[in-house]
Amino acid sequence: MSLSTERNPECRPGGACEFQENLSALRQVDFFSSLPMEALKVFAYLCARESYHAGEYLFHQNDVEGKAFCILDGELRLLLPAEGGEVQATLYKAGDFLGGLSLLGDVRRLFSLKAETDAVCLVLTREKFKKTLDQFPGVMPRLLEAVAERVLAWENQFIHDHADLCAHCHARLGASLV
Amino acid sequence: MPMDDTPIQVTKRSLFSWVRQSNMKLQVALLAVIMLTVATRVLPLELQKKIINEAINLRKLDLLLVYCGLYLAAVVVSSGLKYLINVIQTYLGQEALEKLRKELYHHILTLPLNYFRKTQAGMVVSALVTEIAPAGDFIGQAIAVPVTNVLTLLAFGGYLFFLNPLMACMSLAIYPLVLVIMPRMQRSTNIANKKRVDVTRDMSSLIAESITGVHEIHGNASYRIENSRFDRMAAALLKIRIRWNLLKTGTKSFNNFCVSLAPFLLFIVGGWLIIEGRFDLGSLVAFLSAQEKLYDPWKELMDFYQIYQDAGVRYERTMEYFDFPPEHTIHLTGRAPYELDGSLGVEGLTFVADGGITLLSDINLALKPGEHLALVGFSGSGKSTLALCVGQLYKYTSGSLKLGGQEVADLTKRDIATNIGFVSQSPFIFTGSIKENLLYACQAALESDSPEELAKLPSLDDQIAVLQQAGIFVDVLRFGLNTILAHDQESELAQRIIRVRQGFQQDFGQELAGEVEFFDPQRYLHHSTVAANLTFGSPRKPEFATGNLSRNAFFLAFLDKQQLAMPLIALGAELTQTTVDILSGLPKDNVFFEQSPIPPDQFEEYKQLAELLKKTRLKDLGEAERSRLLDLALRFVPGRHKTASLPLNLETLILEGRAGFKQEIEAADPGAFAFYAPEEYIYSQTILDNILFGKPKSDAATSQEKIYQSIIQCLIAEDLLEAIVEIGMHFSVGSKGDKLSGGQRQKLAIARVFLKRPKILIMDEATSALDNKSQSRIQNLLETRWKGKSTLIAVVHRLDIIKNFDKVAVMKAGKIVELGPYDELMAKKGSLYELVHGKKS
Repeated sequence: MSLSTERNPECRPGGACEFQENLSALRQVDFFSSLPMEALKVFAYLCARESYHAGEYLFHQNDVEGKAFCILDGELRLLLPAEGGEVQATLYKAGDFLGGLSLLGDVRRLFSLKAETDAVCLVLTREKFKKTLDQFPGVMPRLLEAVAERVLAWENQFIHDHADLCAHCHARLGASLV
Repeated sequence: MPMDDTPIQVTKRSLFSWVRQSNMKLQVALLAVIMLTVATRVLPLELQKKIINEAINLRKLDLLLVYCGLYLAAVVVSSGLKYLINVIQTYLGQEALEKLRKELYHHILTLPLNYFRKTQAGMVVSALVTEIAPAGDFIGQAIAVPVTNVLTLLAFGGYLFFLNPLMACMSLAIYPLVLVIMPRMQRSTNIANKKRVDVTRDMSSLIAESITGVHEIHGNASYRIENSRFDRMAAALLKIRIRWNLLKTGTKSFNNFCVSLAPFLLFIVGGWLIIEGRFDLGSLVAFLSAQEKLYDPWKELMDFYQIYQDAGVRYERTMEYFDFPPEHTIHLTGRAPYELDGSLGVEGLTFVADGGITLLSDINLALKPGEHLALVGFSGSGKSTLALCVGQLYKYTSGSLKLGGQEVADLTKRDIATNIGFVSQSPFIFTGSIKENLLYACQAALESDSPEELAKLPSLDDQIAVLQQAGIFVDVLRFGLNTILAHDQESELAQRIIRVRQGFQQDFGQELAGEVEFFDPQRYLHHSTVAANLTFGSPRKPEFATGNLSRNAFFLAFLDKQQLAMPLIALGAELTQTTVDILSGLPKDNVFFEQSPIPPDQFEEYKQLAELLKKTRLKDLGEAERSRLLDLALRFVPGRHKTASLPLNLETLILEGRAGFKQEIEAADPGAFAFYAPEEYIYSQTILDNILFGKPKSDAATSQEKIYQSIIQCLIAEDLLEAIVEIGMHFSVGSKGDKLSGGQRQKLAIARVFLKRPKILIMDEATSALDNKSQSRIQNLLETRWKGKSTLIAVVHRLDIIKNFDKVAVMKAGKIVELGPYDELMAKKGSLYELVHGKKS
């Protein structure tokens, strides 16, 4: 497929260039990196590029919108709604991928997600994801492995970082034993 | 039509009962025709004898002519009558088959849900479509064939006796032998046939199973296992089919053999008698003909016997398969459906499923009319089962469940339909329009489909109101806005839409410049097709329609002149290759093809073209292939189709071509196009695009939301909102509603039940696929509009919406462990508290 890039030196929205960009962006994501090329191409083709203005919400707490986001540009802030406002949580940057779990099951958002700056994301919906998986049955096990690794890595990190801080949290550990 | 008060269940009826129930007038007519036919069959024999003995022997030409004329007439009439018999038979048979099919289908739909959990849909299809067809053939023949042929046989036999009793006995001696042996052979055939039906059925199930689970087979590459399973069954079927066929043909051959023995006996005995001078030649000829003619009715009788046996076996096997009584009476004549008051009383309710698994045990519960109950608990706790029992979808095994004081088990389905509204977890939407699906429950509750009854259906205003309540109003509006109006029709509507367009430009043109690509004659439109960019108008003549442009001589000449032909074909080639590369092997699902320039139904052709492009240079392609590539390029919308991009120089060329095209076409064929102009309705575009006078740039929810909100305001100003929604209500939802999203399907199902306004409303996780806002709005509506009026039993997964229910029942392992108002249960810090806050460790 080198044809297309030869004839299209400029990258313009809505072109093969977008497809190629999507593809290389997804390949950088842990969640997708181990997948076979055929499946990855379909995901790159199906995901939509959406732009958000600074301050715009991508989802709110309790939504079940079934989307995963791969940030191409800009920053997104995770917020935990609390009494009298929102507590700022993780900040995501270009190249980060979030929401993979909501592709796998009905995930009710525990947080809200807001664009901290103007941002552009690749958005994949659960419906598209599911229909594609149906066509590539070998993909699911690899995805589950990727998710398992991620959860394990996260809890390991958590124990490491907070072991001394949060004594009563120990009673709550065990997310990776799910 | 006379009908028994208590008709027997269709599966209990015998095959012959259908013959009795068939059209009696036709049957009588048939018998009359048969009598005539038999007469015209015997007459030629007597004539034959007369022609030889009287006319030829005595050399009388006039007699010869008369007899031959009569002979000819008899043959013509006999053939005509035979055809008439076939016609009547066909009518009788096909009518009976239609009735049989309908009744069986009507019966199958009433079978308990349980039954369908164990039944493959493919099995029901093949039973209704193929297996019972021979029964219809049989019913058509059931009277005509035996009567005609037995009478013919008797007539021929009688005539033979009349000619010569001795010879008659000789030629008929064979038949009793056949009559003794045939049924024995047939019995073995029947056994083989039954086995064939069974094995074929197993095979259908196996195929259905492996096709449904084909991803598992691919995933495990378990072709060997599956193949060997199938191969074993195919081999078994082979054996059975061979045995069945051999027995069938064996029976036939035996019959043929016996029948062909008869002339042998005749020649021996008849020849001897003639030589002896005790018999004349004319009689022998007549005898031989009669003997030969005996063969036809006899063969037909034997064939009929086999058809009867085969149809009997298939019929019996099919009926056995569906021979279960419906769990509930559908309709009780003699009383109007009950109007229940909405109270619910459950005492000691227990439901034990097949295999002795207790799904519900000793449930006690009471609701006053209009009270709202939430059923909560982990999945598998029995909350859905309880709701389904209330809705009579499951038949509880003991205890009592009363609605409005009536035991649910004793209510008819009509009582249920009149009083209960049900929204299931994954509601089923049927093929048809939004409107048909919306009215589905209301229409089902009508007495009949007569115009007076249909007039009782809710008004359009009511329908639109529930669309709003269920939160699907905007979706339906979108369907309406995405409709393309029929050419040059509804010109009044078109004029009003242009006024909306003007309002939209005025109020929102500036604001939405970032979201909409307006039809600007000076700029390239990335969200329109290449063809629209060139012509910048909508064709008024079919030869200029986008699909025909690639074969339109004028247009092709224009492209050549503008030096656009080759670059466009190259673009088409690139689109073909990249699209085929990505989508090859994927199903023809809207999800995959939404952004594809190649429509699903043409994918195979372009796939072959992509193969060809690998080894052929563009300029060596044939006319047809180039035309296909050009066609694809002309349909390309760079903003939507992501598989390729539009080179900048080509974009410039196209934009330059636009002005030239207008000039040339206006000179050559004025009126062929209606060019985009702010005061003209564009019939080739959707209503939405007409209002925008452009195309939305993005499918992203936020920008769509902005556009639609503005359009709604403009439509309200022009008083067109409802008209467009009404157009949207004719949107066809696709097979199983697959053009709707999961959320839309749920909303539609909720709108459907709201429209029905039942006394008792059962919602089984009915809002699970909805976003937060929609869910809260519907919950709100239930609390404000429905509380006190309709009893609600809601199976709830999300615990944040149950606070305002009158009662909450917490279920665990088939039992209600807690029952009471939310606050009370929370204060108790029992099971509900645990569910809400998670288990304390």
